[in-house]
Amino acid sequence: MPDQADRGPASRGPAGGPTTGGPGGIAIPRPPAAQRIRAALSFVLVAGLALIAYRQVDFNLEALFTGTADFVGFLGRLAPDWSYLPAIWPPLIETLQIAYIGTFFGTVLAIPLIFLASANTASNGVSMWIARFLLTILRSIPDLLWAAILVPILVVGPLPGAIALTLFSIGILAKLGSETVESIDPGPMEALRAAGAGRIATIVYAVVPQVAATMVSYILYIFEINVRASVIIGYVGAGGIGFLLQVRLNFFDYSAVGLIIVAIFAVVLIIDGVSVWARSRLI
Amino acid sequence: MTRSPPPPRIEIPRPPAAMRRNQTLIVLAAIASVLVLIVVFLTMDLPTWQRIWTGLERSIPPLLRGFSRPAFELFPLAFNSMLETFFMAVLGTLLGGVLAFLLSFLAAGNLLGGTSRAMPGKALLVAIRTFPEIVLAIIFVAALGPGPTAGIMAMGIHSIGFLGKIFSDVIEGIDPGPLEAVRATGGDAVHVFLYGVVPQVLPEFASTLLYRFEINLRAATILGLVGAGGIGGPLLQRLSFRRWDEISMMLIVIIAFIVVVDAVSSRIRRSLV
Repeated sequence: MPDQADRGPASRGPAGGPTTGGPGGIAIPRPPAAQRIRAALSFVLVAGLALIAYRQVDFNLEALFTGTADFVGFLGRLAPDWSYLPAIWPPLIETLQIAYIGTFFGTVLAIPLIFLASANTASNGVSMWIARFLLTILRSIPDLLWAAILVPILVVGPLPGAIALTLFSIGILAKLGSETVESIDPGPMEALRAAGAGRIATIVYAVVPQVAATMVSYILYIFEINVRASVIIGYVGAGGIGFLLQVRLNFFDYSAVGLIIVAIFAVVLIIDGVSVWARSRLI
Repeated sequence: MTRSPPPPRIEIPRPPAAMRRNQTLIVLAAIASVLVLIVVFLTMDLPTWQRIWTGLERSIPPLLRGFSRPAFELFPLAFNSMLETFFMAVLGTLLGGVLAFLLSFLAAGNLLGGTSRAMPGKALLVAIRTFPEIVLAIIFVAALGPGPTAGIMAMGIHSIGFLGKIFSDVIEGIDPGPLEAVRATGGDAVHVFLYGVVPQVLPEFASTLLYRFEINLRAATILGLVGAGGIGGPLLQRLSFRRWDEISMMLIVIIAFIVVVDAVSSRIRRSLV
């Protein structure tokens, strides 16, 4: 490719554009050597990793082509059976309830953690690192996995799902929140401290007004994430429409599966739309 | 003339009207959300405290026993399945990256000559993004049979939505100068693309791809729960038998892997942009 860079436009000569400069002798300069070596190295690294991954995983590359055909054929069998619609309302509502509970308690529990984990509001280094460690663990385990772990501990049903979403929400919201808190203007905090305000007063009057709008936007965003997650956690027994999806799939009742998938798509799209609109009005 | 001293009265100023209105709004929103929560709890089919308590009494002691003694003999299996998960995430991200790269130019208004021409591409990306990847994985497992291929395809297709959106935003934000410069020296569309567009977007693309890889690694750990390959499958087996000692070993491997990959990836991302 660099060779073409030398020859490319230059070999076109006078034909290409006005020739006020040198007549056809323009060579596009090659990028500096260090940059080229770095680019080549990263390319080799990524290609090597992909090759190793490809050989290790027994990924069927043909499936990308034949599979797509199968996939499209399969989609035909998912033609929704609309008479099944009344049966999906209760689990669909339960799904939204789980998402709501997860977002509510996730927010309530995340708020103190935000101020513990932010460098500019933390009371001391030890509690800050404990809070950050806790948040890292909460975020490392995906929502569906939390649900799968909690189902055998608690009763099968919406309760483990709601707790799973709560835990995962705490992790993301506190992370996003503490990044916001750490990037605020330090002026008001210093002013309040100089006037003798305590830690809580400083947070309430200097930090909260600066981050409130962003935080509300994040809470809506977490609700979007939770709706997406709640439609599926039922698959491992944690309540909501995912449970119905699994049951119908096990019976090979593809027309009902098709309807459930359409319903999931519609709910996620509507909640996303409303939330994106509300967030655009906030900031 | 002597000036009379001002009265020693300090008044704390009231916050500005806009701020007071915001505070009222936040309080109202908080009250409303608590009311909704009460309605949700009343209408929901939650188990009684009695049932929760008996469930916890049965499940907590074995759980604590298992978590205090992780089954280290399971480490090779846990590590190998996590490695498979890692490779699945690599392939899924690359597949999504290639497809998103092609699609993103159809969603970038500045290259198509008008924002309206980019609308179909943008709408397609939103539709892809909306579809939860686990649902895609379920469909792929049903269509192609269980295994990592289904998971990689699901990740690849779902990633297009996010990657395509960011890619096209990056393309729309490029500096038109270099493009004009290449055109002025007689470059055709291919040259404009290779020497005007690509060098400007490459670092951002690489950084976005790495970020998506971090997300996909998490996603890949759960794809196995629906039979789409990776560590989720063996983990779900052990969860249904409540083998907490083995579960804790697998969780340790998952968390350690994700934390290390996140750290490495965010380091590379910082050096890129």
